[in-house]
Amino acid sequence: KRELRKRRAFFISAQQQAEVEESQQVNAQEEEQEKMKQQGKQKLPRPVEPQVNVKSKNMSREYGGQWLSSVTRHVRIYAAYIDPVTCEFDQTQMDKLTLILDPTNEFVWTSETCNKVYAYFQELVDHYEGAPLTEYTLRLIGSDIEHYIRKLLYDGEIKYNMNARVLNFSMGKPRILFNDGLPQNVQ
Amino acid sequence: MQGRLSAWLVKHGLVHRSLGFDYQGIETLQIKPEDWHSIAVILYVYGYNYLRSQCAYDVAPGGLLASVYHLTRIEYGVDQPEEVCIKVFASRRNPRIPSVFWVWKSADFQERESYDMLGISYDNHPRLKRILMPESWIGWPLRKDYIAPNFYEIQDAH
Repeated sequence: KRELRKRRAFFISAQQQAEVEESQQVNAQEEEQEKMKQQGKQKLPRPVEPQVNVKSKNMSREYGGQWLSSVTRHVRIYAAYIDPVTCEFDQTQMDKLTLILDPTNEFVWTSETCNKVYAYFQELVDHYEGAPLTEYTLRLIGSDIEHYIRKLLYDGEIKYNMNARVLNFSMGKPRILFNDGLPQNVQ
Repeated sequence: MQGRLSAWLVKHGLVHRSLGFDYQGIETLQIKPEDWHSIAVILYVYGYNYLRSQCAYDVAPGGLLASVYHLTRIEYGVDQPEEVCIKVFASRRNPRIPSVFWVWKSADFQERESYDMLGISYDNHPRLKRILMPESWIGWPLRKDYIAPNFYEIQDAH
């Protein structure tokens, strides 16, 4: 069974530290999590052990110089372990999938919305357990997550980051009426 | 209605079915998959030394798959070369057609594309694998019963 690594973004160290803290908190909150699941209010992702001293492996030309991945704008999934801090890419750990969420910072994320996406990712990976580990399967998972992110956006749970480097509203122009039907202010 | 080649094939006792003529008056024949390899060799010996085009299509929903070959006889000093169009039909369940790669080498990529898009497996083809779609793709995109996966693409970017 595959383990999952999750990480918000590559380059912002503050957020990465926050991520580590989050996973520790999640450890503490495990019991609470079960209760929460019963209530069905919000799912927390299962905790993931961080690894130490990760080295880039099997990345050179002798190994083909390629890797299994599904890359779209907001979701990058790699069949490898990627260290959140040092970005070392360990391709010997093909039993793990790493999700990099929105590397271009198109949306404003909170830890709550991030956890929703992570939990959905774990749910999808559980659903696809037993499927062959190919680009096609990864792309199915990645597309489902993209559709989920679009749903979050349309429900007003996340919004566009107006300070993003590229502002092209790739999931539709900002609008006044969201899915709940109440008029809201758009930045 | 019988063309020249059809008459010649009948004379030599080769099984085929005439499908008439297309809009340019080119004779169209149907040949069974099990006869196709030997008849391809015979046609090459007869003089059809140029495979102008090979393509495939899905005949009808739930129906047969067709592989089409346009053959031309290239000779010196001829301005109206002889042409013929061959259609080979295969069942959708187990579409197997002998490859003509060893007769006309130009069938190589064409048959790989037909395999990629419609899943017709050409027996005896040297490297029959997907050519347009990624190798891990599932399904045959040009079949009429193909359902495209719900992959995310950027549709709303400005």
